[in-house]
Amino acid sequence: QDIVVTGKVSGKTGEPLIGATVSVKGTNEAATTDHSGNFTIHVPNRKALLVISYVGMANKELSIPENGTLSVQLDEVGAVGLDEVVVIGYGTQTKKVVTGAISSVKAKDLENVPSNRIEQTLQGRVAGVTIAQNNGQPGSASTIRVRGMTTFGEGGNNPLWVVDNVVVDQGGIGYLNQSDIESIEVLKDAASAAIYGTRAATGVILVTTKKGKSGKLSVNYNGFYGISRANKKLDLLNATQYATIINEKSVNGGGANVFADPAALGAGTDWQDAIFNDKASRFSHEMSLSGGNERSTFYLSFGYQDQEGIVAGPISNYTRKNLRINSTHKFLDIFTFGENVGYSHQKSVGLGNTNSEFGGPLSSAINLDPITPLVITDPAIANANPYSNNPVIKDPNGNPYGISSLVGQEMSNPAAYIQTKLGQYGWSDDFVGSTYLEAALGKHIKLRSSLGGKLSYWGGQGFTPYYYLSATVKTSQNNFNKSNNNSLNWNVENTLTYTNSIDKHNFTVLLGQGSYVENIGGGSSVTLFNLPITSYKDASFNFDIPQANRNSTSSDLTQHKLSSLFTRVNYNYDEKYLFTGILRRDGSSRFGLNHKYGVFPSFSLGWNVSNEAFWPGNQVVDRLKLRGGYGVVGNDAIRDFGYLSVVSGGFNYTLGNADNITTGYAPQSLDNPDLRWEETSQTNIGLEAQLIKSLTLNVDYFIKKTSGILRPVTIPGYVGVSTSPVANIADMENRGIDVELGYHKSFGDFNLGVNANFSYLKNKVTYVASDADFITGDASFQTMGAITRTQKGQSYNSFFGFQTAGIFQNQAEIDAYKNKNGDLMQPKAKPGDFKWVDINGDGKITNDNLDKTFLGSSIPKYTYGFTVNGSYKDFDLMVFVQGTAGSKIFQGLRRLDIGNANYQTKVLGRWTGEGSTNDYPRLTTKDDNGNFTNMSNFYLESGSYARVKLVQLGYTLPSKLVNRIKASRLRFYLTSENLFTITKYTGYDPEIGGAVLGVDRGVYPQARSFIGGVQLQF
Amino acid sequence: CKKSFVDVTPQGQFLSDFYYANQDQAYSALIAVYDPLRKNAGGFENMLALMNSGSDDHYTGGGGATDGTQLQAFSNYTMTSNLMASSYWNDPYQGIFRANVLLKKLPGVPMDDNLKARFGAESKALRAFYYFNLVRMFKNVPLLLEPLNTSNMYQVEQAKPEDVYAQIEKDLTDAIGVLPTTVASSTESGRFTKGAAKALLGKVYLYEKKNAQAAQQLADVNGPTPGATSSYGYKLLANFSDLWVVTNKFNSESILEETHSAAGNSDWGFWGSGRDEGNTVNVMVGPRSYERIDASAPDLPSGWSFMVFTQDFFNFIKNDPRKDATLLDLNVLQTAGKIKYIAGYMNTGYFLNKFLPRKPDVSKGGGASELNYRQNTYIIRLADTYLMEAEALGGTGARAQALLDAVRARVGLTSVPVSMAAIKNERRAELAGEGHRWFDLVRWGDAPAVLGSRGFVAGKHEVFPIPFRELQGTKLQQNKDYN
Repeated sequence: QDIVVTGKVSGKTGEPLIGATVSVKGTNEAATTDHSGNFTIHVPNRKALLVISYVGMANKELSIPENGTLSVQLDEVGAVGLDEVVVIGYGTQTKKVVTGAISSVKAKDLENVPSNRIEQTLQGRVAGVTIAQNNGQPGSASTIRVRGMTTFGEGGNNPLWVVDNVVVDQGGIGYLNQSDIESIEVLKDAASAAIYGTRAATGVILVTTKKGKSGKLSVNYNGFYGISRANKKLDLLNATQYATIINEKSVNGGGANVFADPAALGAGTDWQDAIFNDKASRFSHEMSLSGGNERSTFYLSFGYQDQEGIVAGPISNYTRKNLRINSTHKFLDIFTFGENVGYSHQKSVGLGNTNSEFGGPLSSAINLDPITPLVITDPAIANANPYSNNPVIKDPNGNPYGISSLVGQEMSNPAAYIQTKLGQYGWSDDFVGSTYLEAALGKHIKLRSSLGGKLSYWGGQGFTPYYYLSATVKTSQNNFNKSNNNSLNWNVENTLTYTNSIDKHNFTVLLGQGSYVENIGGGSSVTLFNLPITSYKDASFNFDIPQANRNSTSSDLTQHKLSSLFTRVNYNYDEKYLFTGILRRDGSSRFGLNHKYGVFPSFSLGWNVSNEAFWPGNQVVDRLKLRGGYGVVGNDAIRDFGYLSVVSGGFNYTLGNADNITTGYAPQSLDNPDLRWEETSQTNIGLEAQLIKSLTLNVDYFIKKTSGILRPVTIPGYVGVSTSPVANIADMENRGIDVELGYHKSFGDFNLGVNANFSYLKNKVTYVASDADFITGDASFQTMGAITRTQKGQSYNSFFGFQTAGIFQNQAEIDAYKNKNGDLMQPKAKPGDFKWVDINGDGKITNDNLDKTFLGSSIPKYTYGFTVNGSYKDFDLMVFVQGTAGSKIFQGLRRLDIGNANYQTKVLGRWTGEGSTNDYPRLTTKDDNGNFTNMSNFYLESGSYARVKLVQLGYTLPSKLVNRIKASRLRFYLTSENLFTITKYTGYDPEIGGAVLGVDRGVYPQARSFIGGVQLQF
Repeated sequence: CKKSFVDVTPQGQFLSDFYYANQDQAYSALIAVYDPLRKNAGGFENMLALMNSGSDDHYTGGGGATDGTQLQAFSNYTMTSNLMASSYWNDPYQGIFRANVLLKKLPGVPMDDNLKARFGAESKALRAFYYFNLVRMFKNVPLLLEPLNTSNMYQVEQAKPEDVYAQIEKDLTDAIGVLPTTVASSTESGRFTKGAAKALLGKVYLYEKKNAQAAQQLADVNGPTPGATSSYGYKLLANFSDLWVVTNKFNSESILEETHSAAGNSDWGFWGSGRDEGNTVNVMVGPRSYERIDASAPDLPSGWSFMVFTQDFFNFIKNDPRKDATLLDLNVLQTAGKIKYIAGYMNTGYFLNKFLPRKPDVSKGGGASELNYRQNTYIIRLADTYLMEAEALGGTGARAQALLDAVRARVGLTSVPVSMAAIKNERRAELAGEGHRWFDLVRWGDAPAVLGSRGFVAGKHEVFPIPFRELQGTKLQQNKDYN
């Protein structure tokens, strides 16, 4: 039976080594040291050897001690990384026998990084994973793509998150507390992800939370406080410049000057100043306790975070409180029982439009004219229309906020807008946990049953006063809304693992069964209208509001069910020749009868070349492993009943003279019983090496092909259905290279560590079943309509528009632009207008899709990140840089349909006469040439950037001092987050997430923070 | 066991195989066939907004040159297949699809046979109405009498317009034989009656230039004595302005009426969908940022300044007794300092008073108050059928004279000799802003002359371009000169 060995691993000077790997030689059994350097490991027999390894240290091999406890000191430089334990889903492996493309991030890489959400921590740390924060609003999620775009659907490209065996949707990942995380593994290729079959096509991210370790009680505290502000504000026209430009525009259009004396207007209002918060605070407290004995261990933690937004602070902030209890208990020698439960409460206050050209504080600040004053102080104006007769919003002094008479539509005074949103918030409570019982039947067989679940409650509440922000942005009644939702996801999994070594044949066989149910629950929402109050502070659902002024809705979620069987074989011969094979069969409720079940196979091979006898023991290449694999995985992220034409209500009509509404029922769509799985196959070839003792290198090349992509198709209107049916309509391919590099070396008291990663990705649509060989893109912009297109041979959602060929400098150039019949190509053009390329060569420029072409992709070709860690005696320094290159951004900050909208100062470089510029056309109110209203390369800019994401300087107090307060470690640090960004992009921020990346409609920019923190350990 | 685990049944909706199982479900399905009728004044893309925009009596208006781009493009005759709002094509086809499904399922529904026949007749009358709008707007349209499926939906071709008209005649003739003469006003008004189907058939014949048949159908509707109550119970209202009183729904002059309710609590999220029961024309025609200064001025909620009357129309109507009910002249009020408002795009100050809401009409219930006006609109009313019959009679004869006189007498106007010119004038004054003018001009062949200055090109603009999507991968051909 098992022998339990515990111990402590420390470095040369006795400092605990956190995250060191302790493994049993020749098996898959392994453990990692905790915060105090302690570990616990099960050893099959007394003859086994323990291998202790740590990045930058030489491996040590030790026999099992009599008393079952060990204290090991490692010396620097030696085997790097290859003996780390890697979580592979339903088990672990040591890195040297892993055959798939799995990237791993350990606790030690995360713990010093101040972060609100786990996705941000992962950004730039793993090759092949592109992460873009959706916007800078505190608590906002990120867009994550593992090895590019796998499919077309909106939710379909998000990776599968599995936290301690519980599948958690990406939106729900915000509940995790970073300090609780032991490791994050990204299963990138199909050969490793296939164990999650159905939903693995977009990559799998496995999160393992910390477990308690037996031995001394360990107490950790980590706290920080910081101040944030915007990295950058836009250079917009001031009032004088604005009036000059508007005058010029009007005169060019045949009108008169709009402003008599621009110079008299001065600088005017800086709307950005009215909303940006330069002293946004953020803080975090995290505390954890862990400990236990040989039978039971526990890990307990509590965290509290608070972050204020840098835009419109009063209506943009986020708090999270979280609690975690993980424990394991052993009994009757063969059983292990454990549970991991996390709870979090989140409260977020959001300003609404975080990347939208249709109003909200950011969009308004960009588009409003600088002439309208922030606040009206002149009583004559304040007492006249529109201020006197409408419920206008007033500042604390009782003066109304200015209302623009020049810029209307959705734009409104952002300071007034903020007042109408006060007190509105959203909240969520998440319980995510799993419990398991494991039985070790004899030496080789392990049975494990687990029950996991995610129980979520979320909702929001807010009072909207009776307000008048402008002629179009106003309400005619106040209202108070409250919504409550809940959902339960649960799963049961049973696995049987057989592990054995016969001679040099080492193998593990896994058999498993799983049942999964998601979306049990529903929601309801109630709105009261015409409450007898004016302030959100007085809002209450206790007011006796007549029935006619109560609106309520309620809904049930549609369950999503999966039933699965899976098996995996891991085999190696003497750790030289490696094999992994996986087979999974999934049934999903989202498919029609004809294709309900899918089977997903994969295999991968590896060869530890440097373990061969012939491998020369040279000093250059110390270790070398080659590996390759192929697999098929699926994706069922489509809507429920996509294969069915259900008859549903909502096709109503009013009959009778009492205005009674009758509910009508009709089929929503057409049946498609042949709807089948979307399949993604992936080939991966990799190399792992250790060079000159200190350098590790990982290179992977992959080809990922998705076929039968599921998507709602727009069918001809004459069919007469109101909802587009879902169909398998396209194929897509991603090819790329992922490179990860590590370098660790000590030079006396100076330690240096460098981790770098780099990815190259090429995305191409290889087949489109649509009748026109293309699909109109998912992004559109104002009156331009669709600005992207998905077409065979191009990247998914590539930008699509006119191509400019400079600006006509004079009439002669317009007259010279003729087709072969001698007709003018652009008869309406005037000097200063764009010359458009005649893409289809028909001798005329037409404003349909015929003269549009592909102008670039928003998917970055290159993604990279590198971290440099240095320490000298008690000081440590970390610099983390992250960036992307090779993408385009659509810069759509200005509203085109609002003629008087403000401009960025680059408009001052507009065309003003022959030879003035070839890039920025003339301004006119009669833009017959479509200079501004056509989608063209004029709106596209390079999205490349390099961001110094993190700079941290730390000081750890000497042990002697710390020991006096009975602590084991005390460290202070100063951090700057997003210190600066190198980019040519002219908007706020080049990092723009979303279903279609890189469409900037005035994105909420990311904050630059300066933080001071302390870490204390007992 | 495994199979049943991953089977999930829809909740709150029905599998199409199991629906249409009883009378109630057949009735709900019939309601869904009625649903697209609401397009006359419901949603931003409604028939009145589009058809008024293209006529000589109105400008599109709105907030600016790009407010309602598709409406503006029709107003200045720059319409292209990309600018053609596809809902004007899709929505009638949704009604047709639902009618086709119901007509296919009805024989198998266990229910009262008389009701079954009536549901079928209503489905056919509605299908005829939707096809009539499609064929007179787009001319070359597919004629579908069965629901399509995924395997044959791209094989469809356009039918000859005469075949579409023949089907419309057949559907209406079938329906007329079954439909009731009157319906229970409290619960059923708004549903198709024999008189409504006959009026529609008469109108269809008129568009086909089958004048004798048109006159015959319309005479049944209008009754032997113009001005007196007809055998179907129709009679002109005594006061023209009563037609526009919101509470005066389903009055004796109403033949086919499109319905609205404030009880739908309609909101922006589902505006214009099947769930939206509000009248959108009401808010569209209101002046922007309207402010009443003097109590003698009308108390209007603000709107969006669409469908303002042209100066030319004002000059035409200014001495007509129907002027005040038809048009609200804000210029006079503004000059007198009694009101303030912000001028919209191409503002003339002449607002469409037939649909201008008053403050008490504003919904106090849930949803967006702008979207919950409850005024119904007339698709066909008696004054219209009087003038159509007179037109079908060629604008001559005693009967035509009597019909014209009846329309004029109701508003206190003396008789003028009947002629096509007199009928055209009368239609313009009587039916202003109700979406008929553009179709009238095209039917009379007057459109190139009247609308030429707007950009109307004879031989092209009599029909709309087929929306872009319909031509992608299908066998449909674009209408002449729109490629």
